[in-house]
Amino acid sequence: MAPEGRRIGDTFADDSDSDVSIFDHDDATRAKNKGKGKAIDRRKKDKGKGKAKEQPYAWEASYTRSWDTVQEDEAGSLQGAVQDLIARGRRRRLQAPAAAIRRTIIRHLVLVLDLSSAMMDRDMRPTRFDLMLQYAREFITEWFDQNPLGQIGVVGMRGGLGERIGEMSGNPQDVLKSISERHKLEPNGEPSLQNAIEMARSSMSHLPTHSSREILVIFGSLTTCDPGNIHDTLDECVKDRIRISIVALAAEMKICRELCEKTGGQFGVAMNEGHFKDLLFELIPPPAQRAVTRANGGPAANPAADLMIMGFPMRLPDTSPPSLCVCHSQMKSEGFLCPRCLAKVCDVPTDCDICGLMIVSSPHLARSYHHLFPVKPYQAVMTLEDPSNSSKRCHGCSVAFRNTPSTMTGASGEGFSPLGRYRCPECKNDFCTDCDVFVHDVVHCCPGCGK
Amino acid sequence: MDKPSHLSVILDLSPTQWALCAQSTNPPGISLQAFLSQLLAFFNAHIACKDENTLAVFGALPGQSVLLYSSTGEVVAKDTEPTDPNTYRPFKTLDATVMNSLAEHIASFDGVSEEAPIGLVGCLTKALCYINRVTSNSSTPSSEGEGSAASVDPRILVLSVSPDQSSTYIPIMNSIFSAQKLRVTIDVCKIYGAENVFLQQAAHLTGGAYVQVEKPDALLQYMMMSFLPPPALRQLISVPTQDRVDFRAACFCHKRIVEIGFVCSVCLSIFCQPVPVCSTCRTKFPIKTLQRLNASRPLAISASTPGTPARPPAQRNGTATPATPRPG
Amino acid sequence: MPSVTIKAPMESQDASTATAAASHSLITFLQSQSQNMLTRLYQKPSACLSLFRLLRPLERQLVMNLLWLDLSIPPSTMAAWVTREGKKPYQDALGTLARLHILPPSAAKLALNPTFKSGLRQAITGGGTSGSFGVLAENDEKHPAPEIEALDAYALERWETILYYMVSSGTGQFPAKPSAGVLFLLERSGLMASVHGGALQITSAGFQFLLHPPHVQLWELLLQYLQMAEERQMDLVEVISFLLMLSTTELGKDYSTEKLSATQKAMLEDLRDYGLIKQRTGSIGIPKATSRRFSPTRLATTLTSSSPPLPTSAGSGDGTHAQGFIVLETNYRLYAYTDNPLQIAVLNLFVTLKSRFPNLVIGAITRESVKKALANGITADQIISYLVTHAHPQMRRNKPLLPVTVQDQIRLWELEKNRMKSQEGYLYTAFASQADYEYVLNYAKQLDVVLWENASRRCFFGSLEGHANIRGFIERRQTAGNA
Repeated sequence: MAPEGRRIGDTFADDSDSDVSIFDHDDATRAKNKGKGKAIDRRKKDKGKGKAKEQPYAWEASYTRSWDTVQEDEAGSLQGAVQDLIARGRRRRLQAPAAAIRRTIIRHLVLVLDLSSAMMDRDMRPTRFDLMLQYAREFITEWFDQNPLGQIGVVGMRGGLGERIGEMSGNPQDVLKSISERHKLEPNGEPSLQNAIEMARSSMSHLPTHSSREILVIFGSLTTCDPGNIHDTLDECVKDRIRISIVALAAEMKICRELCEKTGGQFGVAMNEGHFKDLLFELIPPPAQRAVTRANGGPAANPAADLMIMGFPMRLPDTSPPSLCVCHSQMKSEGFLCPRCLAKVCDVPTDCDICGLMIVSSPHLARSYHHLFPVKPYQAVMTLEDPSNSSKRCHGCSVAFRNTPSTMTGASGEGFSPLGRYRCPECKNDFCTDCDVFVHDVVHCCPGCGK
Repeated sequence: MDKPSHLSVILDLSPTQWALCAQSTNPPGISLQAFLSQLLAFFNAHIACKDENTLAVFGALPGQSVLLYSSTGEVVAKDTEPTDPNTYRPFKTLDATVMNSLAEHIASFDGVSEEAPIGLVGCLTKALCYINRVTSNSSTPSSEGEGSAASVDPRILVLSVSPDQSSTYIPIMNSIFSAQKLRVTIDVCKIYGAENVFLQQAAHLTGGAYVQVEKPDALLQYMMMSFLPPPALRQLISVPTQDRVDFRAACFCHKRIVEIGFVCSVCLSIFCQPVPVCSTCRTKFPIKTLQRLNASRPLAISASTPGTPARPPAQRNGTATPATPRPG
Repeated sequence: MPSVTIKAPMESQDASTATAAASHSLITFLQSQSQNMLTRLYQKPSACLSLFRLLRPLERQLVMNLLWLDLSIPPSTMAAWVTREGKKPYQDALGTLARLHILPPSAAKLALNPTFKSGLRQAITGGGTSGSFGVLAENDEKHPAPEIEALDAYALERWETILYYMVSSGTGQFPAKPSAGVLFLLERSGLMASVHGGALQITSAGFQFLLHPPHVQLWELLLQYLQMAEERQMDLVEVISFLLMLSTTELGKDYSTEKLSATQKAMLEDLRDYGLIKQRTGSIGIPKATSRRFSPTRLATTLTSSSPPLPTSAGSGDGTHAQGFIVLETNYRLYAYTDNPLQIAVLNLFVTLKSRFPNLVIGAITRESVKKALANGITADQIISYLVTHAHPQMRRNKPLLPVTVQDQIRLWELEKNRMKSQEGYLYTAFASQADYEYVLNYAKQLDVVLWENASRRCFFGSLEGHANIRGFIERRQTAGNA
């Protein structure tokens, strides 16, 4: 790759040799662009997200002009630009549906990592491979944070084979450990999509119906080297209701798109480092249930739904007298007591080995409740009809509101209050910008009405 | 290590509970007056430890939550007395402001809405908003999360007298998770009443101390030993945590606290009995499952009755007291 | 000449744990004082409170744990709370508190010194009649209490005068001179010295002093003052308790001098020179009709806290650079957003300044500039810690804060200076035979005094302390050979 060289040639275009090569190169990129552009456009239609277009491709960019993304106002201040960014975030939230949507929360995911030689490409810095490992780690941490009842397994594609790197596990530390040793994952040879997907499918075949089965492929190669017909594998996946999502690092491939579309997954081509991360992290929130219903014809009573019986255990302290645990038969002081049979298990969530009850700690369940009961978006207060009646301080953090509307030029979007006040539609209390963002993104609970 | 710490205190000011607490003889109770005088000494001790330490006091009244005092001066006492050469002035201002605003809010409180639930959730979320503001202000505004927690060391202390309100289960859990994200420690001091399952979980999940006060006249000593040391210091000197943590949840249908529940696989709503349709996500459950579960049901929910979590006495939380320390 | 200069590393930002942080310099000073004197000091609640704040976190917590107990407790009860990692800091803390006579020296019982206990209790709960937190002056229409800005400006002007005088003493410029008392103090503390009876010149201790954070500088001078006070027959307890009282006073208030003792009134004049308090005087230098009221400045009120004791540099005016002003790049270039002559002068100690703009100074850290600083007695660590303390907020996002290349290079330049180590000794040469040579060399090696040897030229170099023995040995051998 010589993106830098090309740009330099652009600027100092006095060398005739490089001129020719620039032309060729540009032509090639334009052709390539077409293919990718289609993928992006389609994705945009699907998701209604407009930010993909203005980002440059990693191999196009010569240097990052971070100062171009923000604009100063007349006074040379960046405040307007920053507020505009916040307002944009608010608008996105306003567009999101406020009603509770059904989401799959007990998830099982197999992360398929491309370990073929194509991953050594340096179009993403430092290399595709290192970047993938780094993002995969962040992805796993964040994924478990939002899907505490989920499990992740890891499979690698290397030398034409599928390679089991990490067994299906609900413990983030286990999963992270499996990909922690870089030298064991050194990229080599050709990837095989079919082998890897078959391996992932076999590890998920025994799972109960009410949990989701997902495969996430990070794919850097432009070829796949398969022993049989990959379309058979695809049909099997559709039958098993496995959802395949692919993040491609090079370019769109027909088979990849097909795998995703037929199974109800998402497909995306990463244009640069930031976009790669966005694509990955879009897959973290639990998928809405509708995708599954579409995949199996959409009956009203979803057969995947079920009522499960679960036990909420009691945690024993480290100082309690040691006793044998039922899972490892080891003497231990700490542990959890199954509420039904009072057997002691080492860790939750798990199934009780004695009575078969599914034991979870209630915080595990509670972690995903904010998906079910989101805080209603606050409305921006445009004008103060009755200044005497309204509170002088933010209801959340008690910071004083400003009295006069701001005259910031950059921040004139809908959903942006010139007074910096945002009102809860339920309890009619006013909040400042920071609290608005904080309440909706972190706390998920309105300080005024407690909902 | 020796960095300023911020303390947000949440006072449970339920009139009914305090009245009960003052009359209680077994276990011995404490009147609000006596409690406040010990509390003010604790506040002063916190400020005394370091000049830059900050404090915010929130009051949870029935149906509302109010900010009683904050070091950043959102609440101002009306008349400050002429300074007394015998008292350190910040202490004087602090005590006067807390008492003034407390008296004001208690006076404005008419007793009609006494049955309204205590505004504990409001206080918790407000305290979090406040901490969010304090921590993000003290670092450079544009820097990302990691740096912000470094400059001040925030924690929350909940002084509770009221029992669990199962209706607040979800908001409290949400507050706990945001506290985890902000790396805020939540300490809980249960002055009166039975153990509080949700607050136990709060203390456990954020790594805070949970103390059930057995001798309220020694409250100040409890607070000094358990709640004064900032988190960094607790690596050197241990503070009492609870022995057993109860991980029970409240069901969505009757708000009962359950230890075996029925959970919707789609949205993870908890029910205390098998239901045909999930009330949260409107998912219909297969008849077969219902029949199977109904068969096993009597055994499953006999354990608890609404409101008062029934537990065999042997499983009661024995919390460590300063008199009987346990090495961590 | 320097009697006691406090060189304990006091930069707490480098100390990651409580164990590493050294005690405050005043605490160290007080540990050497008599029990009588300390007990007298503890009679003032304000002194108890301020001292308490100067303790390390673990010590503070121990004091608080014991403060509300009426009976003494066996040490094992307290020790049960200490975690395994805390054992050593805990013992250290007990030791410090015992040396301060806050805890009894014997380990049989743990109980606070009763005087200290009642003092601190009174400070926290209020009440009492000691009046130790300063008596406010009545409101006076004619002389309203000074504005906080005016106080800040005053304190800054005084303090920077002192520092600027020090930094420019060798350069041939002659800035405003601080008062005679200050000059005397500077000379006594060994920060400046007069060369050949001429004008005062900054010493290497002085250069190091300049790079300390203001807090440390202030305490360094005040401790020096305390030592001088002893010699001047002032009552040390009164002096210390007055300083500690000042630290609990409030900025922007007028305090009355009426309740002060004679010693403390005498101190007012000195403290005025350092900029700790502001007091209206007749005309500068001649206190003919001193006002009966004084107002503490920020320097005084922050004595026991770690908030910045000085307002932002006066020159820049807008106060946005309170946290720091230095941007250092990997290419050794340094941008300092300041127009404060003192800061520029301090930077000039170890930076080659290139160009200067109204609010910006650009320079580079070069081998020469650092060498110059090292020659002045400044250490590499001091340069680095100065850069860290004054780094621009923009720099604070970097991890690590300073470019590693620059840090390492500064340290390497320091090592370069220490390349040669001199040691006095004797060269033994001209041995008659190889056997002779080896015989003596063996003996010297047994004594472990050989620094260098060369067998082919039959000579070796022994250290000074071994000479007498070797000489005696050779002489004995010669006499034995002659005989």
